[in-house]
Amino acid sequence: MVTGNSQIWSPWTIEDIHTKADLGRYRIRGLSTFQKVTHFDDLTFLSTGLTRFPLEGYKEKCNTSTVIGHRFAEQPLEIETPIYITGMSYGALSKSAKVALGKAAAMVGTATCTGDGGMLAEERQASEKLIYQVLPSRYGLNPHHMATADAIEICVGQGAKPGTGGLLMGVKVLDHIAEMRDLPSGIDQRSPTRHPDWLGPDDLGMKIEQLREATDWRVPIHLKLGACRVKDDVKLAAKAGADAIKIQAYEASTITIDSKKKDFRIKKNNTWAKYNTLFSFL
Amino acid sequence: MGDLDATHLTTRQLNIRIKEMVQRGEEVRILNPQARHNLAVGILLPAKITFEGSVGYFCSSLMDGCEVEIHGNAGWALGDNLMNGKISLTGNAGASAASTIRGGEIFIGGNAGARAGISMKGGTLIINGNAGFVTGFMMQKGTIIVNGDVGEGVGDSMYEGAIYVGGEIGSLGSDAIVEEPSEDDLLWVWGSLERNGITERKPFKKIVSAKRLYQFDSLERHEKRVI
Repeated sequence: MVTGNSQIWSPWTIEDIHTKADLGRYRIRGLSTFQKVTHFDDLTFLSTGLTRFPLEGYKEKCNTSTVIGHRFAEQPLEIETPIYITGMSYGALSKSAKVALGKAAAMVGTATCTGDGGMLAEERQASEKLIYQVLPSRYGLNPHHMATADAIEICVGQGAKPGTGGLLMGVKVLDHIAEMRDLPSGIDQRSPTRHPDWLGPDDLGMKIEQLREATDWRVPIHLKLGACRVKDDVKLAAKAGADAIKIQAYEASTITIDSKKKDFRIKKNNTWAKYNTLFSFL
Repeated sequence: MGDLDATHLTTRQLNIRIKEMVQRGEEVRILNPQARHNLAVGILLPAKITFEGSVGYFCSSLMDGCEVEIHGNAGWALGDNLMNGKISLTGNAGASAASTIRGGEIFIGGNAGARAGISMKGGTLIINGNAGFVTGFMMQKGTIIVNGDVGEGVGDSMYEGAIYVGGEIGSLGSDAIVEEPSEDDLLWVWGSLERNGITERKPFKKIVSAKRLYQFDSLERHEKRVI
């Protein structure tokens, strides 16, 4: 491959163009984008002034405990910090990793989330608070498992790939994972992007009511969106009746994604905290 | 059998009453359901439930082991994510009937809207009339029987399972192909229809996945070196 010595285009940009031309499609990869994005070190918290009263740091404690869903849920989700470990599927991650995340979340008093592919018994046991994710694919969705969850999250979009489904490459679709997802082993699994049983925000209101009825209004119903048209999406999600709305920034992905979304997102939407009712990370 | 008149009950009140009766092992008959959404949702015990009238979205969804009869029509996502049991509908169903079901059987006496059997992961969906577009979209396992015609894009991107069509096929979806059903296939289809009161034994077309979408077909240069 000829990358040349362009003073305008970097070698990796030229290599990217060559590869896409060779493939005739966008590139697919997992875990991260090649673009420079906001890092945890860049997080800035708004401090105090006239609208918020400061604490005396040497003698007063900052209480970060958060209660989500007390408006409707009999048992709202109570976590010690407004940061939780977001959904990453058993399949994208191993069983050990899922259990480790559950234990770590429990140690710091927060929650973790099942992700795509259903709930592992070991994950449920390790996690003090476990959020059950309802995704467009519904891989492994089981109402018996849903009944044991501490909250339910309808995933409309992920920060890394809003508006697209996902791929779990065949090397990761091992026998047990395939069995849980009702798929043949070893195939390159495609996840759909649209939910199978509802389309627009009016339907979503009915879907939320369905999940409330299924769980006897016991736990809160969250809604996760990739950060796109945040202002309007949040209005519609709130109107549909979600207890919490999570806006996910575009770094996140454990599953393989198409790189066009990651590399060409408009940066002004990449805001960590501006619209968040709850941080969602990883 | 205990009767519940839905006229003056909220959906929440009605579902609580249904669950209480199911837990006591009683049969439940719901009068005047008024096409309300989310009736008999999340019932995970064996039970017999009858609706005397039409129901709305998500009726009998997230359910395991119940036997449900609906004397009327149903809105979207009838029996969504059914795990096991049987749902019988005398009239027509809206879009996404039997979405993501993992087991059991859903019988629709009339027609079904678009996306019937979408993302099915098991079980059987039987439609006595016609079915709309992209029936069996991304179906993973299980069987769909359409006694009448199906619309455009049937079986689009399906992984496994089979769709049997007694009438005309609007068009095949991506990666769906028609293959000749075996004698055993036809006996099974006819038997399934007979169980639901349909005795006519007509020929059926069988639609399955060509499995061309199982593997991503193009790799990058460096991927080709390692795979």
